[in-house]
Amino acid sequence: MIRLLKKEFSLCLHPAALIMLGLSALVLVPNYPPSISFFYLTLGIFFICTSGRENHDIAFTMTLPVSRRQAVLGRILFACCLEMAQVALAGAFVAVKANLIGVTENLAGLDANLALVGEGFLLFGLFNRLFFPLWYRDVRKVGKPFLIASAAVFLYVVLAVVSTYAVPFVRDRLDTADPAFLGEKAAFLGGSALVYLALTAWAARVSVRRFSALDLQL
Amino acid sequence: MMKNEAPLSVRGLCKSYPGFRLEDVSFDLDRGAITGFIGRNGAGKTTTLNSILSFVRPDGGQVLFSGLDMERHADEIKEKIGFVSAGMSYYVLKKLKAITKTCASFYPQWDAETYQRYMRRFGLDENKTPAALSNGMKIKYALALALSHGAELLILDEPTSGLDPVSREELIEIFLSLRDAGKTILFSTHITADLEKCADRVIFLRQGHVVADKPYRDFAASYRLISCEGALPPALEEKALGVCRTRDGCTVLVKQEDAGDRGRLPDLDEIMIHLDKEDAQ
Repeated sequence: MIRLLKKEFSLCLHPAALIMLGLSALVLVPNYPPSISFFYLTLGIFFICTSGRENHDIAFTMTLPVSRRQAVLGRILFACCLEMAQVALAGAFVAVKANLIGVTENLAGLDANLALVGEGFLLFGLFNRLFFPLWYRDVRKVGKPFLIASAAVFLYVVLAVVSTYAVPFVRDRLDTADPAFLGEKAAFLGGSALVYLALTAWAARVSVRRFSALDLQL
Repeated sequence: MMKNEAPLSVRGLCKSYPGFRLEDVSFDLDRGAITGFIGRNGAGKTTTLNSILSFVRPDGGQVLFSGLDMERHADEIKEKIGFVSAGMSYYVLKKLKAITKTCASFYPQWDAETYQRYMRRFGLDENKTPAALSNGMKIKYALALALSHGAELLILDEPTSGLDPVSREELIEIFLSLRDAGKTILFSTHITADLEKCADRVIFLRQGHVVADKPYRDFAASYRLISCEGALPPALEEKALGVCRTRDGCTVLVKQEDAGDRGRLPDLDEIMIHLDKEDAQ
């Protein structure tokens, strides 16, 4: 799996994905919907899959001594590495804002705080669960799976913003400057990380099953 | 892998698509020989190769590589085979050395010296990208990769397609030298002239069926081509396997035993054209 991961970073990493990682800095922008900065990375993953298709990445991988299962897990693990980097960067920018700039109330979603990092986990978990199983049903078609996953992610972002006004627990506890309600925020972060793991593992399982049965027209 | 087993044995391979059916395809490859896999476009050559390599899931049949099946021994088998396809160009904007480095990491028996030797022999520059290579050079690079990880069986899908005559000739010579070095080659093509120069055996696929699987010389010798002036004589009508019109009349392909003293040895192109003409009629 390490060799596959190296292959992904060496041959498949699209420059757009790296730029999208940098957009974690949008957390610093006042009143910018912070979840959107996570969405940009899903666009980066979409670019990786489209450029992989144009570069016959799957054909190349399938000629290597790896199984279909390993090929799928390699790609999903690669996406997870990028997502973890995005979440970590978002956390770093939250810390920068809290300590160097000062947290101001965000009118378009959560304030820059620990719970925001948990929101990133939920968004990525949702994206992984929808995008990868749909894509591995037919790897030639990347657009439709991304459209469906993006629509769900967009809905999630809208609900996340609305919840900071409409859901008392989110409004009064999660959408506050750190270190207030740190215990609740840490629990939300931990729960979100578990949901992310569960959704991604589910995505991997379904993706492996679908890709294993797929006729590859390479 | 067992050396006494056929490097590739295909038994009863079936695969259906809407409007096309690959049916009961069976053959064995001879070790250290070049086997031509011929048939017109759409005959099922690529579907067969894709099924052999498990790129598509066959509906039925068995594929064994030196006695091992792909489902249970994929890693072991893939370490011993090389697949080269003319239409495939990997990571067009990456340098060859980056692709090579990745590829090498997957093969425990990767031989860097052999790789460098083939790169020099083929005149390939590691700092170039696949986008900067001609089609012939891309094939050579794919061959260099396959040979450097110790591939004993090379599966080539239309490797000379789209190449100029000089490049085709050059590749044929490379295939012959690989055969001399003990490599087994399955060479799928519709450019039959290439096979006349190098194939030891010919498998002819027509409409998803293997219609011939013979040593090259026996295959060509089993037919005769008779030229007729004017219309097709009634005596030949029943024996004709295929008829093509010419300026002055027609040419008729018949089995060697039906020809008597008439006719001449056809080349592979003529056999394929006449048999497929019969299908169309």
